[in-house]
Amino acid sequence: MKNIKTIYIFGIFVALALVQLFVPAQMILGREKVLNEGTAYKFKTRPVDPSDPFRGKYITLNYELNSAETKDTLWGRNEVIYVKLNKDSLGFASVSKVSRSKFAFSDDFVKAKVRWYNSNEKEVDFDLEFDRYYMEESKAYDAELVYRESLRDGLPENDTYAIVFVKEGEAVLADVIINEVPIKDYVEKEKSK
Amino acid sequence: MNSKLIKELPELVRNDIISEDVSKSIQKYYEGKTVATPNKLFVVFGVLGAALIGIGILLILAHNWDDFSRSIKTILAFVPLVIGQLCVGYALLKKKGKTWKEASGTFLFFGIGISMALVSQIYNIPGNFGTYLLTWVVLSLPLIYLLKSNSLALLHVVFLTCYSCEYGYGFGSYNPSPWMYFPLLLAVLPFYFNLLKQDATKNMVAILHWVLPLSSVIVMGAFIKTEWEFLPLIYIILLGLIYNIGTSSVLKHERLRRNGYLVLGSLGTVILLLIMSFKDLWKELSFEFLMDTQEFYVVAALFVIAISVMVLSNNQHKKEQSNLFKYVFIAFAILFLVGITSPGIATIGVNILVFALGIIAIKKGTDGQHFGVLNYGLLIITTLIICRFFDTDLSFVIRGLLFVVIGVGFFLTNYIMLKKKGRKEIMK
Repeated sequence: MKNIKTIYIFGIFVALALVQLFVPAQMILGREKVLNEGTAYKFKTRPVDPSDPFRGKYITLNYELNSAETKDTLWGRNEVIYVKLNKDSLGFASVSKVSRSKFAFSDDFVKAKVRWYNSNEKEVDFDLEFDRYYMEESKAYDAELVYRESLRDGLPENDTYAIVFVKEGEAVLADVIINEVPIKDYVEKEKSK
Repeated sequence: MNSKLIKELPELVRNDIISEDVSKSIQKYYEGKTVATPNKLFVVFGVLGAALIGIGILLILAHNWDDFSRSIKTILAFVPLVIGQLCVGYALLKKKGKTWKEASGTFLFFGIGISMALVSQIYNIPGNFGTYLLTWVVLSLPLIYLLKSNSLALLHVVFLTCYSCEYGYGFGSYNPSPWMYFPLLLAVLPFYFNLLKQDATKNMVAILHWVLPLSSVIVMGAFIKTEWEFLPLIYIILLGLIYNIGTSSVLKHERLRRNGYLVLGSLGTVILLLIMSFKDLWKELSFEFLMDTQEFYVVAALFVIAISVMVLSNNQHKKEQSNLFKYVFIAFAILFLVGITSPGIATIGVNILVFALGIIAIKKGTDGQHFGVLNYGLLIITTLIICRFFDTDLSFVIRGLLFVVIGVGFFLTNYIMLKKKGRKEIMK
């Protein structure tokens, strides 16, 4: 009788263990699919450095693409908004259209959160969701410094951008590039100077 | 304590205080007791070790090693999780002891957190810290029951509280309320009740007696979003509920340091009432009583629960004299309604309430010969008087005299009680 109870409890535990494995695995598989099959867009951006107590240091990316013209005036704060993307010849993303509902899966679009509606400009301001790029502890703050220095060096315009893969409304941030060099390598290069 | 007593036994026998037989049976009794709880320390160290290793790995991985490729990081994400699962599986299958179960469960708990943290890093998943904690807590909840683990129950409540604060407290009125707090807190209660039923003298039970009410006090504010005027009312009712739980038959005879409900409820109520005894606060409170708000529903729900618990607790010991501390939240709710139109009356009412609470505590202290409670009462009245110095124009002479009177009161009451106690002991 006792053995049956043990097996019963063990069975429940195995099921629980599978769920525990499934959650991170599913997070991985979804992202891998986007990285492998999605379209890459470049988003011009600016890095800042905060941190998360358990997941470590990351840089927050403030994207230049953060508003769109719209006739709809009833946007509320933190509402979900879908942004359909266009790509220019250099691969940079721009807004094609915004909507409250998802676009067709054949279109490239990303999810964002409304910040506010600017009635003067007739524009809705939003935050893109993929604004977090994890970096090695020692490099996150340096990344911000390096970015500021690159501005001081008198580059004609912001040359920092994020590479984001987009597929069926899902977006995965793959890398951040400063002056055509991945930010991880760029920070290392600058540090060793 | 036991070993000290056992060491004294030969001396007691030598001086003919107890017989040889009694000495032997005392020794036998304590030896039997130690066999029943052989590995308490083992359990504590096992859990601490597992928790420290888990947190350590979590922090080491939070460094975000650039040198590891994505696939290595992915494998690393699963290693602690799988090790934890294998340990727990082994402990369950081989019916290992408490130490094994507690330690492996704790390690698995952190394994779950580690795997999700690493995956977030690898794929730059933006999800906020609150949702991360929520997933973590939900995924580890069933382990409490499967392993019957005390440490996991404690971790559950602590991390649930962290989630609720992270999710619910924030700038502006835009952040949502952490409603998941309630079902997830309820989910751990059967375990808590079972623990109470099995052995209410366990240390873990006392820890939960403190952690559970403390958690609810910390989280409750996250449900107030726009109508901040409700804050004192919500908290007084919550603290009244907590106090009444502390007077229920299960907890009533616990020592004060084990009864977190009673201490937190009483202390919290007095502090909040002292704050509300200021006239200016009530003037600022003048507002429209908005019925159709989240805060009003929270007040209503809490009030119903608090009243039910109070009635239940009163039914359990009808013969005993009940005290004002139990009913304070009702009195305050009435004063709160009065305060909307006439803040002056409400202020006076709260002052009388605090004063009455102080007197009752003093009386309880002298009746029960409890110095702590007696001085608690005196302290309530002293603080009330000090508070009144700020918003009344008393002359310095009167203020000085009041302080002298209170000081003498402190001495006298304590002295009288000391004498009373001494006399009783001599009589015995």
